[in-house]
Amino acid sequence: MWEIIRANKRKSLALFIGMGTVLLLLGYLIGGYIFGQEGAPLGVIGAAGLWLILSVISYFSGSKIILGISKAKKISKEDHPRLFNVVEEMTIAAGLPEMPDIYIINEPAPNAFATGIKPENSAVAVTTGLLAMLNRDELQGVIAHELGHIKNRDVLLMTFAGVMLGSIIMISDIFVRGMFYSGHSTDRYRNRSSRENNPAQAVFLILAILFAVLSPVLAQILYFAISRKREYLADASAARFTRYPEGLASALEKLANNTYPLRTANRVTAAFYIVNPLHNKINDLTSTHPPIQERIRILRSMMHGAGFAEYQKAFNKIKRTKKRIIPNSVLSKDKNVSLKTQTGEHPTAGKMKVKRNLGDLMMTFNNYVFVPCACGLKIKVPPTYKNNRVKCPKCGRIHTLPDKRGKL
Amino acid sequence: MNCPHCKNPMIILELGDVETDYCTVCEGIWLDAGELELLIEDSTAKTELLSSFQLIQHIKEKNIKCPICNTKMEKIYVGKEDKVIIDECKHGHGIWFDKGEILKVIKMGSVNQQNDIINLLTEMYENKIYPTNKEEG
Repeated sequence: MWEIIRANKRKSLALFIGMGTVLLLLGYLIGGYIFGQEGAPLGVIGAAGLWLILSVISYFSGSKIILGISKAKKISKEDHPRLFNVVEEMTIAAGLPEMPDIYIINEPAPNAFATGIKPENSAVAVTTGLLAMLNRDELQGVIAHELGHIKNRDVLLMTFAGVMLGSIIMISDIFVRGMFYSGHSTDRYRNRSSRENNPAQAVFLILAILFAVLSPVLAQILYFAISRKREYLADASAARFTRYPEGLASALEKLANNTYPLRTANRVTAAFYIVNPLHNKINDLTSTHPPIQERIRILRSMMHGAGFAEYQKAFNKIKRTKKRIIPNSVLSKDKNVSLKTQTGEHPTAGKMKVKRNLGDLMMTFNNYVFVPCACGLKIKVPPTYKNNRVKCPKCGRIHTLPDKRGKL
Repeated sequence: MNCPHCKNPMIILELGDVETDYCTVCEGIWLDAGELELLIEDSTAKTELLSSFQLIQHIKEKNIKCPICNTKMEKIYVGKEDKVIIDECKHGHGIWFDKGEILKVIKMGSVNQQNDIINLLTEMYENKIYPTNKEEG
């Protein structure tokens, strides 16, 4: 496993350095414009400093921030035993030192992501839509994919790359807006003749503007290239952990057919999810994830086993390249694992009931009050409901709501 | 979620397998996308009902906004003979039924006029004979 992590690091490092260069060059040019040629290194230090500060913040509280943005709620075993068991099983299969925390996001769009810098304090988050839609085998595939990200140390790299992308967008945004709104007024206070005497400054200005506009796009392309690479590896890991590639394949198929856009995702957090939540149709260059149909085809053509070698073979067959996504050193050591047969759980049985239970779970988290009326009607009252009495619309009985609500 | 009509927070009622949002003030009901299909038993009447949705261009009924995306909803005719006007979200978030409209629509789409959901809605909207208004703790 260590070879994978190392190879993974090495390949992504090049892309990572590319992004860093974009960031520093941006800093250099803007610094050169503001402070003159000799001040350009100041800009480099400024840009690197910003990235460093943001990185430190995200290193220590990255998971909390991303879970917070996504409005995820932490659950325990009693809240959702099935999900808890699946994560438990897959933690053992993946050989992680500790079980990640489990979060649920109240969203009809099915999706999942993993976060956490170190495997010891990682977390997986899934949406309620995902839980309602998938059967056990499929859920296992998705969780295994996420734990694959944690195991391969993808989260660490993606966090720093994400922060770098954020810094680049921030710097160029501030600069371009600054230029736009104050471009003329600064001229008035400056010594015009000194500017004319200093053609270097004019060159810096043109280059800085040009680069400020280009760099976010450039950085984004690099960021997406990093993230796409890691998806295949996480898929391979999932197949190996579950010994049942069909589980993940059929889960991905369901996710691909889903039409809900995710409400809580944005440009940076998109890369963390199992399928791209933003439905970017423009082109492959800017997508965080490899085409989903391709991922499904690769998983489905793993006929003779669930090991890494089998995934590599299937990958080469489908993509028609000889590209290696799993290093040879790993392939030679890795023993092929046999495929598991289906557990035979019917996916659609009691689907509404599953959805209902999940909905109830999220409502309890959000302080809803459940009122079962004697006539058989079940009423659920949100915390925002102002009256402390509610009349049953069926039989007209009046229910007084518990006091606790009033204080919330 | 707030009632798109009178802006009060709505309560949730379980109609069979479906959770619906109900406004205690105007007694209207909000159905999320796909929930109407779940409320009606499969039959040709159901298919006919679902295909009878027809957009109305100009009508003098108060416009309301979708409680999810807050954009103006479209007025839709449902049914062939006795048309009911409902409000549907342009972006497919769901349908709003004013007081009693949901019962008419479901009856139109059902062959069997006596099932749990129709009985429940009939009691809610038509046979409003509350036994006593005793308060319950």
